[in-house]
Amino acid sequence: MTTELATKELEKKYNKLVGTSASNMCAHCGWCMDSCHVYLANHDPEVTPVAKAERIRHVYKKSHDWMSKIFPFWTGAKKLTDEELQKWVELAYRDCTLCERCVVNCPMGVETPQLIAAARSALNSAGKSPEILTQLADMAISREENAELYKDFFLEQIKEIEKQLQAYMGTPEASIPVNKEGARILYVPLSGAHTILPEAIIFNAAHESWTLSMFEASNYGVFLGDTAKAKRIAERIINEAKRLKVQEVVLTECGHAYTTMRWEAPKWFGGPLPFRVRNIIEVLDEYVCLGRLKFDPTKNSEPVTYHDSCNLGRKGGLLEEPRRVLRAVAQDFREMTPNRLQSLCCGGGSGLVAIAEWSEARIKAGKPKTDQIRQTGAKVVVTSCDNCRHQITELNEHYNLGIKVTSLCELTVQALVLPNRATAPLSSK
Amino acid sequence: MLSDGFVHFVEYELQIIALAWLFVLYAIKILQLLRLPMLREKGPGKGSAVSGALRSYANLFLPWSMESSKKHFWRWVEFGAYHVGAGIAILNTFTSPFAPGMMTQPVRWAFAILIAPALLLGLVKLARRIARPEMRLISTPDDYFSLASVEVFFFSAIMALLVNTPLWRTVYFLITAGFLFYVPFSKISHYVYFFFAATITGGRYGWRGVRPQAREVK
Repeated sequence: MTTELATKELEKKYNKLVGTSASNMCAHCGWCMDSCHVYLANHDPEVTPVAKAERIRHVYKKSHDWMSKIFPFWTGAKKLTDEELQKWVELAYRDCTLCERCVVNCPMGVETPQLIAAARSALNSAGKSPEILTQLADMAISREENAELYKDFFLEQIKEIEKQLQAYMGTPEASIPVNKEGARILYVPLSGAHTILPEAIIFNAAHESWTLSMFEASNYGVFLGDTAKAKRIAERIINEAKRLKVQEVVLTECGHAYTTMRWEAPKWFGGPLPFRVRNIIEVLDEYVCLGRLKFDPTKNSEPVTYHDSCNLGRKGGLLEEPRRVLRAVAQDFREMTPNRLQSLCCGGGSGLVAIAEWSEARIKAGKPKTDQIRQTGAKVVVTSCDNCRHQITELNEHYNLGIKVTSLCELTVQALVLPNRATAPLSSK
Repeated sequence: MLSDGFVHFVEYELQIIALAWLFVLYAIKILQLLRLPMLREKGPGKGSAVSGALRSYANLFLPWSMESSKKHFWRWVEFGAYHVGAGIAILNTFTSPFAPGMMTQPVRWAFAILIAPALLLGLVKLARRIARPEMRLISTPDDYFSLASVEVFFFSAIMALLVNTPLWRTVYFLITAGFLFYVPFSKISHYVYFFFAATITGGRYGWRGVRPQAREVK
């Protein structure tokens, strides 16, 4: 029964992109192999991008490739079995973070992550996806369904953060507006003050017209491969933005949240959303370019490097924006090599950071990134994705990197020139 | 030994039949792919999909554009030389029967010299596929057969060019015909799909301002 459900879901996902990548397009040349951080860390032939893709390709070929239908042994094609489906769980959710580094290093442009994403959807429909991802997605949906229950508690928390904001900025006028109709920006944070307080300081310093979202930006439906849940989670923010009549939705420093709302949601909902979608780093970049904020980069005198989140950079197109901000707020900004399009995944993306039982594999897969960070000699690593931040923090502890991991907004706030600024450093964790 | 009529049939009629077979099967494959659904980018773009697609096509010729070819430059040279050899061997299947006047002795030698490295590199590829566990794991009977049959094709092309007897020409064109009948079913047809991927994936990267990086508008 489970294989039937999975096979049915695989067929539903068989579009032009998946169909092309599942065909004979892959010439099995092996160029993609050392573009994968998991393979670089393990040197296990089973985890090269092509080996992972082949397992899914074999199943697609069995039902779509002429030769494979008649002589499956000739191409390795096979029907999906329970045993194979079970093997896919680790392959799809642990051994691939859908970072797309293999795609940009494939001479043919084979979309291995699309095949893995199709496998995730198949596993999810067969009830074989990691339980924690399902729970987190369901929690996000229930938060909207029970918004009234959460509201008072949420507002109480925001009042507390607002007090910290006022103390830090040295003015009682600094505020964190919630449910403010007609604001220009609806800012969508993650759970926790660390993605609210620094941004609130920046918005207040820039005299921005903004309001805080009641919901969190993360979308575990995307990680699950469950488009219905992913749409539902994204819809909460879309409805809130429409209700408050904002001009734009600004997402916090979270890679997948940005890619989902900026690039995927318009596909799901049949066209452009009725508001602009940006990431906070784009807004920060705009403030820097327009001179809306004043900085003292000597406040960030230690060498700083930047980790490109796969979702923001390679999949989202935000490559120069964070760098312009970093050059404005830090004295010694150093690039990792390689960076931007060729940046290595930290190893914690695509929901993996939330799955405790695979933490050992995740830390091991982060070794190439660790080496890359060490080579820069930086003392501070900035990343604009909370998943990456969590992973690099753990890599720091495990591999004794001796670094501080922070977000772009937190680093910006450090350098922000405020007339009545508190002397105590920002503490939003 | 070989009748003129048979040699003529192998060089002309059989090639046309085999080519027609190849094109019909490719057309069916392309139509099947075109009929599949596709979720297109619908959010406001940051860059140009056309530039992205063009950049994807160009990638093959820009070894510095991919880490895989930048770090392993020899592999890129090997890839180039192999495909140049393949292109020349295919070109020869047209020029030899249909433009015999063009096939002077220096041209024959030039063609053979361009195909020869591909023949040698094919052996390197085969050895690598057998020796490296990573390559062995992803290789199917089709991989080995395709590689070996291309080797035979290259060898027969060189012999037909240099020896140029009716026997070698017949062998070369029989192998070519067999090759054309087999290609649509094998991984050798990978190049047909390249255009889809370059357009779709390249277009997406271009639209999102990833590759080429979008020009900043401030």
